[in-house]
Amino acid sequence: MSQADLAVKTRRRMGSQRRREMAGLLFVLPAMALVLVFFLIPLCMTVWMSFHNWPLMGAPKWTGLDNYAAMLKDRRFWGAMEFTIWYSIVATIAIFGVAFPLALFVERPGRTTAIYRTAFFLPVVVGFGSASLLWAWFMNVDSGLFSPAAVAMGLTDEPVNLMATTDGVFWSIMVLVVWKTAGFSMILLMTGLQSVPHDIIEAAHIDGANRFQRFWRIKLPLMRRTLALALILSVAGSMLAFDQFYIISNGGPRNSTLTAVYWIFSQSFVSFKLGYGAALSMVLLVILVIISIAQLWLLRSPTGDAK
Amino acid sequence: MSARVNPLGRAAYHMIGTVLALTFIAPLVWAFLSSLKPAAEARLPPLPPWPTGSVTVENYVALDGYGVGFWSHASNSVIVSIGTVVLTVIISVLGGYGFSRFRFPFKSVFFIMIISTIMIPFQSILTPLFLILSKAGLQNSLFGLVLIYVTLQLPFSIFMMRNAFDAVPIEIEEAARVDGASVFTVLTRVMLPLVAPGIVTVAIFAFLAAWNEFLAALIFLTDQEKYTLPVLIVAVRSGRYGSVDWGAVQSGVTVMMIPCVILFLLLQRYYVRGLTAGAVK
Amino acid sequence: MLRTLTRVSALALAVGMGTAAAAQDTLTMWARTDVQNFLPQVVEAFNASHTTQVEVQFIPPGELVQKFATAAAGGSAPDMLSLDLIYTPAFAAAGQLADLTDIAKALPYFDQLSPAHIQAGTYDGRIYGVPFSADSSVLLWNKDLYAKAGLDPEVGPGNWAQIEEQAKAVRALGGDVYGYYFSGACAGCNAFTFLPYIWSQGADIVSADGTTATLDTPEVRGAVDLYRRLIAADAVPPSAETDTGSSFFSAFAGGNIGIATSGAFAIGILNTQYADMNYGVTYIPGPDGQPSSFGGGDNFVVTAGMEDMTAVGEFIDFIYSPEMQKLMAEFGSLPVRGDVAAQALEGLDTRYGVATDAMAKGRTPSTVVYNDIYNSATGPWLQFLQESFYGDDVDGSIMIAQETMQSILDGVQ
Repeated sequence: MSQADLAVKTRRRMGSQRRREMAGLLFVLPAMALVLVFFLIPLCMTVWMSFHNWPLMGAPKWTGLDNYAAMLKDRRFWGAMEFTIWYSIVATIAIFGVAFPLALFVERPGRTTAIYRTAFFLPVVVGFGSASLLWAWFMNVDSGLFSPAAVAMGLTDEPVNLMATTDGVFWSIMVLVVWKTAGFSMILLMTGLQSVPHDIIEAAHIDGANRFQRFWRIKLPLMRRTLALALILSVAGSMLAFDQFYIISNGGPRNSTLTAVYWIFSQSFVSFKLGYGAALSMVLLVILVIISIAQLWLLRSPTGDAK
Repeated sequence: MSARVNPLGRAAYHMIGTVLALTFIAPLVWAFLSSLKPAAEARLPPLPPWPTGSVTVENYVALDGYGVGFWSHASNSVIVSIGTVVLTVIISVLGGYGFSRFRFPFKSVFFIMIISTIMIPFQSILTPLFLILSKAGLQNSLFGLVLIYVTLQLPFSIFMMRNAFDAVPIEIEEAARVDGASVFTVLTRVMLPLVAPGIVTVAIFAFLAAWNEFLAALIFLTDQEKYTLPVLIVAVRSGRYGSVDWGAVQSGVTVMMIPCVILFLLLQRYYVRGLTAGAVK
Repeated sequence: MLRTLTRVSALALAVGMGTAAAAQDTLTMWARTDVQNFLPQVVEAFNASHTTQVEVQFIPPGELVQKFATAAAGGSAPDMLSLDLIYTPAFAAAGQLADLTDIAKALPYFDQLSPAHIQAGTYDGRIYGVPFSADSSVLLWNKDLYAKAGLDPEVGPGNWAQIEEQAKAVRALGGDVYGYYFSGACAGCNAFTFLPYIWSQGADIVSADGTTATLDTPEVRGAVDLYRRLIAADAVPPSAETDTGSSFFSAFAGGNIGIATSGAFAIGILNTQYADMNYGVTYIPGPDGQPSSFGGGDNFVVTAGMEDMTAVGEFIDFIYSPEMQKLMAEFGSLPVRGDVAAQALEGLDTRYGVATDAMAKGRTPSTVVYNDIYNSATGPWLQFLQESFYGDDVDGSIMIAQETMQSILDGVQ
């Protein structure tokens, strides 16, 4: 007997179908109210605001597509967009480059392995704010860790001011991001690996597939869904990066590590151009949705059935 | 295969594992140990990380000198986090139960609507959120912040709780109803204990998200008395006349991360289960 | 009809709020952390002698504008602020500040108040900000290091050639001792201390009518080259490049810097907290010695909608009293009331004389987009400074900054 049939029976026994419907609606009402007020309405407002000159203080004025036109000439926005995309690509490759080996490493059962897994995952639960502050300290040329440690180990004679160069900031933050988020992707990938049915692997083994082939030809294609999820989460997370750049580099040096969200924040809440900030948000939103769809499409099932 | 069987391979495995594990934990330990140094020593590079002379709480005392005092800000953070946990749990239990066990018009539309909010980053709707909170008199209010955090947690939490209720055999509920229990009694007396693991998962995610959130707190809280810990400690780092008190930053970071680490170590099972629930479904 | 109705309800509301405000005897005030050396003393003195109590909150300078703007838009602004005077036009234009014209003009010594502050505080003919603290940009030099380097410790740099020469001489002491300091990643610090190098040549980066960016001039290039030469000569510590302002003061106070760009505020802190420091104060000179300075400081402003103007008036009158002017001077804020300035500075460090004179000669940019152009960490000013001081393509970076500034100015209609 299916659940639906049971539900029908249950309902009859309970009496009025309407009452049951009302109860269901009431149960989901608080959630729907919150989503409506704090999500759907703001979303529509963003679209509406993007057609206005909307100062933080004072009256908004309809300006049509002016904000979008201004955006085309906004060098710092496109610079930020370019940087954000570049950052997301490098971060995703770096995170997967670390998380995949880790996932293979902790895939096996065992108590010690569980300890390793916990250790690799621990940085994930520390907030991005705390982690960024930690890094801001490590990167400080006088009181921090990286430069003095490099000098102590004889890697360099002169102190290295990591904050001074784009590369210094970029790669330091990259190390932070990999350290902070690799554990997250690791768990997802590990789950994916473990969900591949054992008999399929066994069969491949008997057919003479070596370890590499079993991983590349069998496991990887079968965990496509997990892969897509981990990939989308990682790319979307990187595209929205803000905390670490706000706290560590302030978008510097020379605005070279300005991210898209940082620029939106700065235009909206530092320069008070809410309408323009909304238009920027719309563009970011569209780009994000396109990227997510593209990734889903790239990792779609080749046979067409999505399991 | 063979590598895992021979003892040499096993030794290598554990050696690599230990080194990697220490690497991942090192930054956290570094901050904690340095925070115990005297302020003058905390200003120097943390080599070695532990205090070479005496162990002090100087840096924690210094941290208390920022804002309106450490405990006020810590209690703001606790209020926001606990508030978020409680509200998220209540709303997602109700919602999850509704979506799992009832039929009503637009049910799937509503469900998809809630879940799809995960696709849209809240950073992109910050501005209207700010306007709405202002209109409602909830800007610069911890409660307003809680409402935002709860909304952000909803897609995951509702999904989680609906699955948890789905997994409970319907016969159990029926039996209770035959005994004449009301819908609400069935939920609170019968179902709740059965979905407790799901609730723990939802709660721990909500707590960590609220405890660590920075951007919304930075924008929506304008009154110093209301600052949560992340906002306070970022202000500490921006320095006062003189210079940045790195010792205070270290103690701040330590205070921020300890609850997260403890909570995770205690409830790890639920946390990881929550993560994987979405991955394999 | 509708209008009458609104007016009546507004009146009712005002009356209601008025009584509430009269009953409330605590005023909240925000200020940037820069004034933390003297504001608490003033407030303490006020609270001790008045029934109205003032409660102050200090906010990092980089966050004050954002915090105040969001708080004002959200209706949770403090009653009053000590606001960096350059922001007064922007907030007045947005209608967030209360009109203080009547209170200000009623002061018997109104015409003695700092003109730079009043000018910055005036918008559309009405006064929204009155002087609170004053700070002019100056150069500090370390007399002990000068003596060690074989320079005359009693004579500071008087022109660009001397700055270079003396900075290099101090740097020759070697080790951690450097010749010249500025906060390379701090937009506000350099508006305060680098603009005077441009002004002293009779130039500016924005045209007098505020419509055209004029960054692409030989004068700007000249000032940039001065800094480039100092950097190339290794006279500037490497950490200066990334100092976001947290070491603006402490670098010099540490005792290893020969010449530092700074402000009058530093005199107060050095004297009260670093008594051993042996230093001199001089003007920021032009290439041939013409002094210039940024007339900065804070305006006292009141949030729009504030009803209890009597208490506000009390506070204003209090801060202009000779005693308070003296107290503030002692802790690093120059007097803002001309007729008691001499009295306030009497018996105090003579080095204040230079700073007071610099203030009188000082200029204050007045624009509603001050933050966008100068102070923002993501603005064109900081990008220009960093690229032109440390980059390879000076002309290119000047051109880009010029364009960005122009587009911001064009955005103001």
